[in-house]
Amino acid sequence: MTATSEVRIPPVQRRRGLGMAGRRRLLRIFALTVMLIYSALTLFPFYALFVRSFVSTRDAAQLHLWIPEAAEVSMDMQVGNLGVFYNLDMAVLKDALGIPQEEFLMARTTLRQISERYNIPEERIQNFFEGFYTFNGWRTLLTGSLYGTTFWAALGRTLLITAISLTLVIILSIFTGYGLSGLRRRDQMLVYNIYLLQMVIPAMLILLPQFLIFQWFFSLFPGYSEPGPVRWVLQWLAIILINIKGTALSTMIFTSAISAVPKELEDSASIDGASSWQYVRYILLPLLKVPIVSVVVIMLPLIYNQFLEPYVYLDPSNTTLLPFTQSAVGQFSTNFQLIYSAILASIVPLVLVYLLFRRFFVEGVMAGAIKG
Amino acid sequence: MTSTQITQKERIEGGTARRSSALARRRILRDWLFILPQFSLFVLLTIVPFIVAIPILFTDMASFTDPTVAPVGIRNFTALFTDPSVQADYFPALRRTLVFVALNYMTVYLFGLTLALLMFEVGFRGGFFTIIYLPLMVSGLAVGYMAVMLFSRETGTANLLLRQLGLIRNPIDIYSPEGTAFILPLLVGWRYAGYNMAIFLSGLLSIPNETIEASIVDGANYWQRLWQVYFPQMWPSFILATTMCLIGSFAVFDELVAMGALYVNPEAKLLSILFFTYGFQVNRLAMGMTLAVITFVPLVILGVFLQRLQRKLQY
Repeated sequence: MTATSEVRIPPVQRRRGLGMAGRRRLLRIFALTVMLIYSALTLFPFYALFVRSFVSTRDAAQLHLWIPEAAEVSMDMQVGNLGVFYNLDMAVLKDALGIPQEEFLMARTTLRQISERYNIPEERIQNFFEGFYTFNGWRTLLTGSLYGTTFWAALGRTLLITAISLTLVIILSIFTGYGLSGLRRRDQMLVYNIYLLQMVIPAMLILLPQFLIFQWFFSLFPGYSEPGPVRWVLQWLAIILINIKGTALSTMIFTSAISAVPKELEDSASIDGASSWQYVRYILLPLLKVPIVSVVVIMLPLIYNQFLEPYVYLDPSNTTLLPFTQSAVGQFSTNFQLIYSAILASIVPLVLVYLLFRRFFVEGVMAGAIKG
Repeated sequence: MTSTQITQKERIEGGTARRSSALARRRILRDWLFILPQFSLFVLLTIVPFIVAIPILFTDMASFTDPTVAPVGIRNFTALFTDPSVQADYFPALRRTLVFVALNYMTVYLFGLTLALLMFEVGFRGGFFTIIYLPLMVSGLAVGYMAVMLFSRETGTANLLLRQLGLIRNPIDIYSPEGTAFILPLLVGWRYAGYNMAIFLSGLLSIPNETIEASIVDGANYWQRLWQVYFPQMWPSFILATTMCLIGSFAVFDELVAMGALYVNPEAKLLSILFFTYGFQVNRLAMGMTLAVITFVPLVILGVFLQRLQRKLQY
């Protein structure tokens, strides 16, 4: 019944029940419905992640569609149990209630006993737990530190590396595109085809020898015992160099965009005495806004979300957002609030940028998809 | 020899190159000045690794700081047939990887192509595009953790919701073999849905409108239009999506790390995890590199072939 190799298209259009226009409208309604459902399903994991970052491990086995109410904490509860239920760090508790850190709290000590022994009003203890119940994950993530670094420092490193990498890769790729423009000579074709290889060589294949090459130049490994600014910068440099080495996509986009610029522009510029550099900087660059946007919106998520290379190259105390998230999850493997806060926090910056500049993303991606 | 080269170059330069061969040479020099900064980096970090790897494949290099590296001939290559410990690691990982690739490739069509066709039918909608493309902003690591969050046996949000709605009786377990095998490609497909949609949509938009109009006037129904008009004119998109999915899913890594593949969850140990562990954790660097080469080089060759095919069809 279904048409595969040969189709009979009836010479006269058949009208059965619905006319052609009616059938098209039905198709459109169907398409819109499916897309609406798919969009809702797409957004659901984000929403669930948001809610889960407020749901304590103790309540995780129940379905929560909104941030749960803070449960009343009885003054008869023992700190040991609280520690298990709420992933309560005793140091945090002592800090918040003004108990000296040297004091030892037995696991069976109840909150009432604490209140009596250290003369802390019960109100204050209740208040502490109310906030702690819901915001435990976020509080631990945003104020704590792990392996000698903090969430904010890791985020800062990610932003720094992303900004530097993107800027440099755009500049260098424009140079490449200019050098390859026209693709008339055999050497240009060769370079172009070598760049195309990047698309089919997975990072995993070259990871190990690539690491070996960096090891020769930078001797990064081992050396956890001797961290220092030089070592940190070298590690960043390794990541940045990998990010700016150029991709098939950036080369294709810039080469074809620059090839499309009329040759007369360059001729007239050179007659007016402009050097190649001046031509690229003052005439070509302003013409390349669309391809630059295209490359930025495609490479920004790739660089920001890079995990493998930072995981391999960076010390834990010098790491970027995703390896930090990974080690936070490993460290607090039973604290679901913290885990999901960390995941959500690692997503939010880029999603915000995406939503703010969505027009550029949509246009850039569609322009880039045509190139492949 | 030189003279033939020059005549050829003259022909390429378009015949006007009689007195401008010095100029042409200066052009080449200038082009290379602009190409070299990035190209030298590219060669050093993408091509040289292959050259560096070759001699290591024939040694027993254990780690990056191994002081005693001895040649072992082709033992690393034959280990696949002779060494039980390698076989026990490699073949299950290969099986899981192939299952993952196959299922992931289905999601390219299930999500990417379907959404592109729907979007094509209702006209380009920026709002829908924004939402469908949104998961691509999420890191692979976070996608893996989202899978865990949604489909943990006891605490998965999707499990709890589906059970509440009465749609499933037994919870789906992400850490079971079937759970990992099906949920992971689903989530990865979800992540790349917008990307694949963009590829297919740009293929659809490049179809000349007259052919579509003509088929409608001739009374072809949607199914006929799909197979006779749309698909035959979308070959470059199909090939591009295939290439990207093949290479990408063989090298999937971040999602697996999030699912505990490096330590606790053996069901998520795909090939990329195996290469990584051999290189960085269990001191079998040369073996890991050999396995990576055996696995990926055929893929790279296939990828180059597909790329050629795509470009030939596109122009």
